[in-house]
Amino acid sequence: MKHYFAAFLFSALVAAAPVYGQEFKVGSTVADFSITKLDGSPAQFSNLKGDVTLVMFISVQCPVSNAYDDRMNALYQDYAAKGVKFIVINANRTEPAAAVQEHARQHNFQFAVYKDENNAVADKFGATVTPETYVIDSAGVICYHGSIDDSQNLARVTTQRLRLALDAVLAGKEPPQTETKAFGCSIKRVAKGT
Amino acid sequence: MNRRSWLAALGALLWTKPRALAAGPLIPLDETAFRQMVAAHRGKVLLVDFWATWCSPCREEMPKLIALSGAQKHKGFDLVTISCDEPEQELAAAQFVDRQGAPAPHYVRHAKSDDDFINAIDAKWSGALPALFLFNREGNQVQEFIGETDEKVLETAINKVLSV
Repeated sequence: MKHYFAAFLFSALVAAAPVYGQEFKVGSTVADFSITKLDGSPAQFSNLKGDVTLVMFISVQCPVSNAYDDRMNALYQDYAAKGVKFIVINANRTEPAAAVQEHARQHNFQFAVYKDENNAVADKFGATVTPETYVIDSAGVICYHGSIDDSQNLARVTTQRLRLALDAVLAGKEPPQTETKAFGCSIKRVAKGT
Repeated sequence: MNRRSWLAALGALLWTKPRALAAGPLIPLDETAFRQMVAAHRGKVLLVDFWATWCSPCREEMPKLIALSGAQKHKGFDLVTISCDEPEQELAAAQFVDRQGAPAPHYVRHAKSDDDFINAIDAKWSGALPALFLFNREGNQVQEFIGETDEKVLETAINKVLSV
């Protein structure tokens, strides 16, 4: 029995193992971090956050991320007015600031997009795909991590996961789901030494 | 156009058409069917390739995986492809794997809940593509490769499992 328990414990530890040196996860407090504006100047999370903050990793080229471009605009339209601060980040090494700027212009993004040089912020959040989202409350605690909804095809969406999470956190409640799978394209990371 | 050109064109048409028609529907796979499929490969080293037509690195990687599979087949290595495409892209996915010559049968993820399916494969997996999962001859998952994977790293890992 002890062996079974040890095996279970080991499996649980392996399953819960952080990825890419992850520091922030659901339930943990987000420490201040730096990202880069598209003009190359730095920005601090501490200056960008609000009572409720949405951190969202997106891509220029990923078809899944792009399937959500209109939904991202709609999210901004609906939730910026409610006081949610948007921190939208491109962490792909393959997508330079100029391409991110052009993509934002083409899709008429009303929110700013930041570059995450060397995917340092994606590493802290353990973000692996685009699109991938995190909802942070006024205390800086991550209350939701996962996908925007449950289908990249808008016609098949049955659960508005991110909207439900934002509504809950805005109301001071726990989201109905705190963690979902953020399906999409892998974030194209820089090679780092081990 | 001379007679030889006509014959060449006719030959090309006959060669291409049946291959396009031969792209059969992908076999739907949920968590249970996945486990059964892995169990059916016991005795072989198995690499499962989760891919999608919209995933550019997946499309680039597949010919290399197929070549690797062909080269290692005699050592007891199998490659299985599972498309994560939406229903609208299933035909294109079937045609792609067929055109690439991926070992049949070809599968497509059809689960009631994609989250449950992903968790059943590997709780650490976010669902990001490309994703490769390597199983030993006992049917146990021994390694996963998420995102773009260096061909040499993958080949070394496969050889290591094959040599056990």
